[in-house]
Amino acid sequence: MTFKPRPSQENILRYRGGRLGIAAVPGAGKTHILSALAAQIIQSGALQEDQEVLIVTLVNSAVDNFEARIKKMFENPLQALYKYRVRTLHGLAHDLVREKPGQVGLEERFSIIDEREAAFIRREAVNAWLASNPNALNDYLDPALEESRRDWVRRDQLPDLLDLLALAFIRSAKDRLLTPESLRNKLDQSPAPLPLAELGWNIYADYQRALAYRGAVDFDDLIRLALTLLENDPAYLERLRYRYPYILEDEAQDSSRTQERILSLLSGEDGNWVRVGDPNQAIFETFTTADPELLRAFIRENPHLDMPESGRSQPSIIALANYLIDWVMQAHPNPQAREALSLPHIEPVPAGYEPANPPDDPAAVRLIPNNYAPQEELEAVVKSVKAYLNSLAEVPEEARPTIAILVPRNQRGVEVIEALRKRGIEPLELVSSTSETRAAAGSLNHLLAYLSEPQSARKLARAYEVWRRDWRIESEKMELVRAVENLLRHVGNVEDFVAPRPARDWLSSLRESEPEQVVQELEAFRVTLRRWLAAVTLPIDQLILTLAQDVFTQPSELALAHKLALVLHQAAKEHVHWRLPELTSELAVIARNERRFIGFSADDSGFDPEQHRGRVVVTTMHRAKGLEWDRVYLMSVNDYDFPSNLPGERFISEKWFVRDGLNLEAEALAQLDALEANDAYAWYTEGAATAEARLDYVRERLRLLYVGITRARRELIITWNTGRQGDARPARALTELMNWWEARGV
Amino acid sequence: MLQVPLTPAQISIVEAPLNARLFLSGPAGSGKSTAGVERIRWLLQQGVAGESILLLTPQRTLQEPYLELLYSPERAAGGEATPATLGGLARRAVDLFWPLAAEAAGFAHPEQPPIFLTLETAQYYMAYLVRPLLEQGYFESVSIDRNRLYSQILDNLNKSAAVGFPYTEIGARLDAAWYGDPAQRRVYADAQECASRFRAYCLENNLLDFSLQIEVFWQYLWPEPIVRQYFTRTYRHLVYDNVEEDVPRAHDLIRDWLPEFDSALLIYDEDGGYRKFLGADVETGWALRPLCDQQVTLDKSLVMSAEIARLRANLLQAISPSGKAPGGRPGPELQTIQTRFYPELLDAVAAETRRLLDEGLPPAEIVLLSPYLSDALRFSLTNRLSAYGIPVRTHRPSRSLRDEPASQALLTLAALAHPQWGIHPERFDVAYALMQAIENLDLVRAQLLTEIVYRPREARLSTFDEIRPEMQERITFLFGGQYTALRNWIMAYRESEPLPLDYFLRKLFGEVLSQPGFGFHSNFDAVRVAASLVESVKKFRQTLEPTHADLGREYLTMLQEGVIAAQYLEGWRTEQVDAVLVAPAHTFLMMNHPVSVQFWLDVGASGWTERLAQPLTQPYVLSRHWPAGRLWSDADEVAVNTESLARLTTGLLCRCKKRLYLGLAELGESGFEQRGALVRAFQKVLYHA
Repeated sequence: MTFKPRPSQENILRYRGGRLGIAAVPGAGKTHILSALAAQIIQSGALQEDQEVLIVTLVNSAVDNFEARIKKMFENPLQALYKYRVRTLHGLAHDLVREKPGQVGLEERFSIIDEREAAFIRREAVNAWLASNPNALNDYLDPALEESRRDWVRRDQLPDLLDLLALAFIRSAKDRLLTPESLRNKLDQSPAPLPLAELGWNIYADYQRALAYRGAVDFDDLIRLALTLLENDPAYLERLRYRYPYILEDEAQDSSRTQERILSLLSGEDGNWVRVGDPNQAIFETFTTADPELLRAFIRENPHLDMPESGRSQPSIIALANYLIDWVMQAHPNPQAREALSLPHIEPVPAGYEPANPPDDPAAVRLIPNNYAPQEELEAVVKSVKAYLNSLAEVPEEARPTIAILVPRNQRGVEVIEALRKRGIEPLELVSSTSETRAAAGSLNHLLAYLSEPQSARKLARAYEVWRRDWRIESEKMELVRAVENLLRHVGNVEDFVAPRPARDWLSSLRESEPEQVVQELEAFRVTLRRWLAAVTLPIDQLILTLAQDVFTQPSELALAHKLALVLHQAAKEHVHWRLPELTSELAVIARNERRFIGFSADDSGFDPEQHRGRVVVTTMHRAKGLEWDRVYLMSVNDYDFPSNLPGERFISEKWFVRDGLNLEAEALAQLDALEANDAYAWYTEGAATAEARLDYVRERLRLLYVGITRARRELIITWNTGRQGDARPARALTELMNWWEARGV
Repeated sequence: MLQVPLTPAQISIVEAPLNARLFLSGPAGSGKSTAGVERIRWLLQQGVAGESILLLTPQRTLQEPYLELLYSPERAAGGEATPATLGGLARRAVDLFWPLAAEAAGFAHPEQPPIFLTLETAQYYMAYLVRPLLEQGYFESVSIDRNRLYSQILDNLNKSAAVGFPYTEIGARLDAAWYGDPAQRRVYADAQECASRFRAYCLENNLLDFSLQIEVFWQYLWPEPIVRQYFTRTYRHLVYDNVEEDVPRAHDLIRDWLPEFDSALLIYDEDGGYRKFLGADVETGWALRPLCDQQVTLDKSLVMSAEIARLRANLLQAISPSGKAPGGRPGPELQTIQTRFYPELLDAVAAETRRLLDEGLPPAEIVLLSPYLSDALRFSLTNRLSAYGIPVRTHRPSRSLRDEPASQALLTLAALAHPQWGIHPERFDVAYALMQAIENLDLVRAQLLTEIVYRPREARLSTFDEIRPEMQERITFLFGGQYTALRNWIMAYRESEPLPLDYFLRKLFGEVLSQPGFGFHSNFDAVRVAASLVESVKKFRQTLEPTHADLGREYLTMLQEGVIAAQYLEGWRTEQVDAVLVAPAHTFLMMNHPVSVQFWLDVGASGWTERLAQPLTQPYVLSRHWPAGRLWSDADEVAVNTESLARLTTGLLCRCKKRLYLGLAELGESGFEQRGALVRAFQKVLYHA
C-alpha cells in the first residue's frame, strides 16, 4: 500500500529507538502513523524470534483499526504473523495476568466481571453499609435541613451519591495498589479520624469480598494485578521485556499512573517506548484516574515531536480551535485553568498531501448569541436541522453530508432525540455496543422471552419472525413471513398449535382457508418450535446454543452466541435462583454492554459516521471522540455545563444537601491521599479537595469544548441556553470565541 | 479387535519365568502395555490363580487396556485378577484391619467403624469447617471460587500423604518457596490452619478422606505383620503399569513389597509424568528399576508412522528453548484447519470427521482433543457429530446432576413433598418438573397448569378439580388425571413419617414416575439419571448420618451451591466403544489408547501449557525433590511449562498412528485472540523448516 507521509510524519518514521513523546492534534492520523511505524520496525528485521511490537490503545474498535492497517502494509500477511500485538490496556493486563494467575491469587480460569455486574455488587455494598450505618453521614448533611427532608435525602439521594463515591474510591485505591487489608493498616495508623476514608474502606472491603467469593476480578483489578506481578517478579518482567522490545502507545493522554507505570516497567529505563496522544483531548465521562499531565510531563522530559497537521477541518474551524487554545493558555480568568489546553496549534495539511482540508468557509461557522431557554434551544436546533435536511432532498444519498448534534450530557441527548422525532426526523443514537452484537443478542432475547412465557401468542409470533430473520431482505418471502406472523399472533390458545388435541387442531383448521405455502411454513416452524420447547430444561448455555444453531447462519453470530452461552452460564452459576425471565433480561443488558465482548471487536468495528450520510447522529461530546462529521451542532454551551470557576456558578458534584458545598467524592479521595502522605503539611484539610475538583472540572470542560469544535469538518453551529433555573449565561469561553469571531470581521 | 502378533522382544517379556521380576521401560507406543496384558494372559494360561495376580495402576482409567482381558471368559478358568490403585488397597486395608490402627492413629472412637469420605463428602465437610473462617477474613487476598478453595485444601492434604511429609508442614513448605507479591503469603498459613482443622475433625468423627486412608495404611497398618501377610499371601504376581504416573508413597510400598512377589512386571513410560500436578513422581518410580532382577527396554514405536515420528521430533525441537530450526517440512500427516470464529472451526472439524469415516476409518480411530472441554464445547461438538450420524463418546465427568433435567425434576418434587424443609421451588421449576413427570405434557400446558395450581410462597399445590372448566379443557383431562395422581401421592406422603431422601426418591419413582402415563416410564436416559441421583444421595446420607440431621434438605442446598457437584461418570466400561472420542487432552493420555487420527482443537489456547496456576497449592514445591527453602522462580515456571508442553504434545503424538489435524480459530471460545506457545511452536515447524 502506498502511504505518502507528511513532513511531520516522516520525522516520526525516522524513529530508531529509545523514548519518544508525540503531541498530535485532532485528525492528525495517529493510528496511521503508528501502524506505519510498527510495520517499519517489523520490516527492518529488528525483531528476534518470539519478539513482538506491542501496540497499546484505548478501545476495542481501535484495536481492529490497527490490525487492519498493519496487515495492509504487508504484501504477504504471514510476514507479520505473530510479530505484533495490539491490545487495550485491559487486554494487555489480561494477557499478563493470565500467564501467571496463581502468582496473584487467581485461579487458572479466573473470571472477569464486567462493569454492570461490578455496579450491581457495589450497589449492594453501598446499601448494606447504609442500612447498618443510617446516621453515619449526618455530620456531612446541611444542618439547615429539616428532619423530614433529611430522611428523604437519606433514602433517596445518598445511595446514588455514595455509589459514585464508592466507584471513585475503589478505583483510586486500586490505582494505588491498596488492598482492603493494606488500606486498613493505614487507617489504623492514621493520626486523625478520616470518616469518608473509613466509609470508603468499608464498602471497598465488602465489594472485594463479594468478588473473591465469585472467584472473579473486575477490570481495575486486572490492571492492579498486572502491575503487582511486574513489580514483584523481576524475572517475569525480564522475559516480557525481551518479548516486547518496542512499545507504541496510542491515546496516551488518557493514561493513568498505573498504565504509565506498567508500560514504563515493560519498556525498561532505556527501552523503546513511543507515546502518542493529544493532551487537549483528555476528556472523561465517568470518574477515572487518568491524567493528561502525565503525558505532558513525558513529552517535556524525553525526546519529542509534534504532529500538528490535520486535514480534517476547514481553515476557519481550525482557526477557531486554535484561538480557544490561545485564549485559555493566556487569558483564562482563572490562572489555574490555563494549563487545560496546550500547544501545538492545528495546522492544515501542506499542499500535495492527503487528505486535503475542506475549502475555507467562514460563513459556515455560526456562534449563536441568542439567550434561548432550554426548550427554545431545542426548537431552534431542530428547526435548523429540518431545514437543512429539506435542502438535501435532491442530493443522492452517497453525496449527502454527515451530521451530528453533540450535547454535554446524556439527558440532554434524550430531549434532543424526542424533539427531532416530534418533527418527523428519526435520529441515530450512538450507543457503545454495535448493531450486530445487539441484533444477534436481541434475536436470542426474543426467543428466550417466548420460552419464558410459552402461552403468549404475541411472543410466539415474534419468535417466528426471529426464526425467519434472514428472509427480511427478500420481499417475496417477506410477504409470507408477514402472513404467518399475523396468523400466529391470533392463534388464541397457543397449545392448539404447539401440541394440539385431535378436536382442536388449529393448523388443520387453517388448511381450508390458507394457501398451501402458509400451512407448510407453519408446519416447518412447529417442528423447530417443539425442539425449542423441549430444550428449556437444559442448562442455559446449552439452550442458547440449541437456539443459535436454528436461527443464526453468520459465523460471527454463532461465535457471539457461543460466547453469550458461556457468559450466561457463569451468570446462572452466580445467581442460582435465576430462571428464564431473569436470564432473559440479563441477556438484554449484556447486549448493550460492549466490554463483555472483548475480542469480538473485529467485527464490531466501532461507529462509522460515513455509513450514515444524510442522517442525524445525536450523542454526547464525550462519545464523539475520534469521530468527525461534515456539519456539527454543539448545544448547551453555557456556564453550568462549561463553568470557569467564577462567582455565581453552580457545580454538579456539589450537592445542595451536603453542608458547606462539599464535594464528598473529592473529599473522600483526598482522605485516601492523606493516608499515603508522609508529610504532615500534606495532611487532609476539609474543603481543599472540593476546590481542586472544581478546577479539574473547569479544565476538563474546556478540553471538552475543544473536542466538540474539532469534530466539525465543514460547518459548525454552537448554541447555548439559560438553564433549568433560567439564570445560566453563555460559557465564558464561548463569549470569548464570539467576541473574537466578530472582531475578526467575517 | 485385530490381534497384532507380538514382537520377539514382547514375547520374551510375556513368557518370562514365573519367578522373574522385570522392569520394562520405553516410550509410549512401544508395546509395553500390550506386553503387560499378554503377561497376565500367559500367567493365567500357566495355571496361576487369577486371584493371586495384582494389577496396579495409578488411576483406574489406566486399566483400560487390561479390561478386555480382565472381563473376558478366560478369567473364569482361574478366578479374577485384582485391578487396584494405591488408594483402593489402602481403603481395603483400613476397612479390614480398622481395630489395629484406629486408636494408634488418634481416632476418637476406635470402637466405632470408620467412615470413608468420597471426594464429594470430603468437600462437604471441608466447606462446613472453612465457611465460618471465611467470614472471619481467611483467604481474603485470593479470588477463588469457594468450591475450588475447598478442593485445593484437600489436595494439599492428599499430596502430603501421597508424597509422604507431615500435613503440618504444608503451609511452611509453600511459604518458603514463595517470592511473589508478599500480600499473598498469608493464604498459606490460612490453608494450613484449614487443613489442620479438617484433620482434627476427621479424627474426632472417624472420618477418613483420601489422605487419612493413605496415612493410616502406610503408618499403622502396612508395618503390622498380619496386614502385610494378608497382602503378600493373597497376591503372588504383580503387574504394575504406568509406574511413572504414580505417587511416591505407592513407589515406597512397592519397594517394600517387591521382594515378596513371585513375579513382577513393572512398566514405566519414559516420556510420561503427566500426573505431576496430582503428585506423580517419575524419579521415585525410576528408582524401582534397579530393584528388579531384569531391566528390559522396548524402544521402537509400534504406533507412529515414520512421518508422525518425524513430526514429533520436529515439534519437540520447536518447543525446546534452544529453538533450533527443525528439519523438514511436514507432509500430509499434518493438516491445518483454520477459521476466524470458533463455531466455524467446530463445523469444519465435524465435516472432516465425517469425511474420514466415509473413507472407511472406524470411529474409534479418531479423537477430538482440547486442553479444556467446557460444557458448551462438548455440547456443540457432540451435537454436530450426531447431526452427521457419527457415534460419539465423551470421556469426561458428565454434567452435574444439578444440571440434569430429570434429577432437577425429582428434587423439585422432593422439595414439594417436604414442606418442612422450607425450600420453595420457583414456579418455573415446578412447571419443568411436571413436564418431566407427566408423559407428553408440553411446556405450554405445564406452565398453564402451574400458574393455576402452584403457590410458591406456601409451596401449595391445589387440585385439578378447583380449576375453571374451560381451563381444565385446555390442559386436558388426561393430563389433569395424571397431575391428580401425582398430587395425591405427594399429599399422602406429606401426611406420613418422612423418609430419608434416597428412600423417598425410590418410592416416588417406583410408585408414580415409572408407571404408564408418567415421564420416566419409557425415558431410559431419565431412569439412568434417577439411579445416579439415588446413589449419590445414598452415599451422602451414609457418610453424614453420624454428624448431621435433616440430610435431604442439606443435600439439596449443597447441590445448589455446588459444594457437591454430584457428577457421575457415565459407565465408562460399558459405553459404546466404536465411537469418536471427544476428550480433554490429558484425559486421553490417561486412557493409554493409540488412534489413527487426532484433532487438536484450540491449538492457539494457552491451556496446553499452563496447568500450575492454583493459588493454594503447588505440585513441584510439595514434591519430594524440592530442596527445603528454595524459591520457586519465574525460570522454574518457564522450564516447567516448556517441559509439560513438550511432554503433553509428544505424548499425544506417540499415541497417533497416522495423522494430526490442528484446529485453530483466530478468536477462541470466549472471543479472545489465541496465540499460545503451542501454535507458535507449530508455526516454526510449518514455516521455518
